[in-house]
Amino acid sequence: MSNEVQLVSKVLVLDNCSKSFTSIKSFCTQHGLVGLKVKAINVMDVLSSNVDLGAILLAESYCESIDDVVELAYKIYTVRPELPIVLRKVSQSKFEQLPEKQRRLFCSTYVTEDMSTLESVIDEYIFSLVYPNALVRGISEMTISALETQFKHLTVNAETPYIVRDRIIFGEVSSLIPLESSWCRGYMMLQTEERAIIDVLRLDELTGDKDSSTAFRKVGDILGEVTNLTWGGFRTRFIADDDAGPRSTSEVPIVINHHHKYISFGSSNPQLCFKYILIDDKTGDSIFIYQRFVFNLYWSPEDFKEIETSIDEFVDSGELELF
Amino acid sequence: MAKILVVDDSSTVREEVGGFLKKNGLDVITAVDGKDGLAKLKADSGIKLVVSDVNMPNMDGLTMVEKIRSELKNTTVNIIMLTTESSPSMKERGKAAGIKGWIVKPFKGESVLETFKKLSA
Repeated sequence: MSNEVQLVSKVLVLDNCSKSFTSIKSFCTQHGLVGLKVKAINVMDVLSSNVDLGAILLAESYCESIDDVVELAYKIYTVRPELPIVLRKVSQSKFEQLPEKQRRLFCSTYVTEDMSTLESVIDEYIFSLVYPNALVRGISEMTISALETQFKHLTVNAETPYIVRDRIIFGEVSSLIPLESSWCRGYMMLQTEERAIIDVLRLDELTGDKDSSTAFRKVGDILGEVTNLTWGGFRTRFIADDDAGPRSTSEVPIVINHHHKYISFGSSNPQLCFKYILIDDKTGDSIFIYQRFVFNLYWSPEDFKEIETSIDEFVDSGELELF
Repeated sequence: MAKILVVDDSSTVREEVGGFLKKNGLDVITAVDGKDGLAKLKADSGIKLVVSDVNMPNMDGLTMVEKIRSELKNTTVNIIMLTTESSPSMKERGKAAGIKGWIVKPFKGESVLETFKKLSA
């Protein structure tokens, strides 16, 4: 069995040409992309419900006219400026005739006869950061373990890890904790929906709290503890005890827009994401937890090293080590 | 009855650990951080065992342990750290301050109950 961890990314495919779509589908399969085909009328709805996108592939022929395509691109840019929009040009393309300001809405263009441009765009905008396999696999294992200790009666599953450029926050509750070492500096963020946790864990009943005025604190506390457990596991497994620490101490402001559920770490770097699904097998109810790693301050994967001794010599969690 | 002081900033952990120990007949009081833990220990001479997290706001667990020994001059209370940390340097710092043991979270009550009973007797 291969040890390679396949990272994927979701892209919105706004293209009605069946011939081109076959080429795009094949390209997506070869390059770790999950293409979501969307009808024009649903584009903005899909954008508001998908918080984990990597890019938009828009065709010049998607709307009645190039002006309509530009208008759509502008709408997308307005709500999701972080998502690169790549335009597929048609024969006798009118793209070059557009004013410079409108052309800048698109990060690049491509034609189905030569997909190498699209490949470059995907490499530059989505898969620009290299994530070591041991890191990706280890994060997933540690987080599943942490979730299982906090949600004892639920079954925890993880989807294939993926890369996003989205800055949209999922749900209402988020936690954020810094990750600092000689090879990385950034944050781990967990996001979830308050109602799902309250309902699945029946926190209203346990706290005697009909309007969730107390239960929401409990949700925050649970997410905080999962964050703490995962963070501790990350440090134990990936940051050596004699790690000299961060190579720089620079900081950038983190900006959060509550109205738009948008968070910016001041960097356009794509983020490494995991989605966990916690299922109550008795009722079928589920909780989604999104985990994002944002190495916005420093990233040097060539210096990454899994701490093997910590695995060999590690005292089992929960066991008392007496001195 | 001898008491156990559980110090953790997470109410989930305080409830889980405290609840388990109470259910097994032990007398438990809780504190929300190192500063609170220090104050509770100072005010109650019946505390025989402290179970504390390391990473907490206001005052971390290891600083609290050092202050228990140096400021409160309490050299007899037993102390066990319950934390996600497992770095050797942190354990060494804890040992130097006279802690009795180290547990890496999550808490598994059954495996430590007898030891906790002995240390709090």
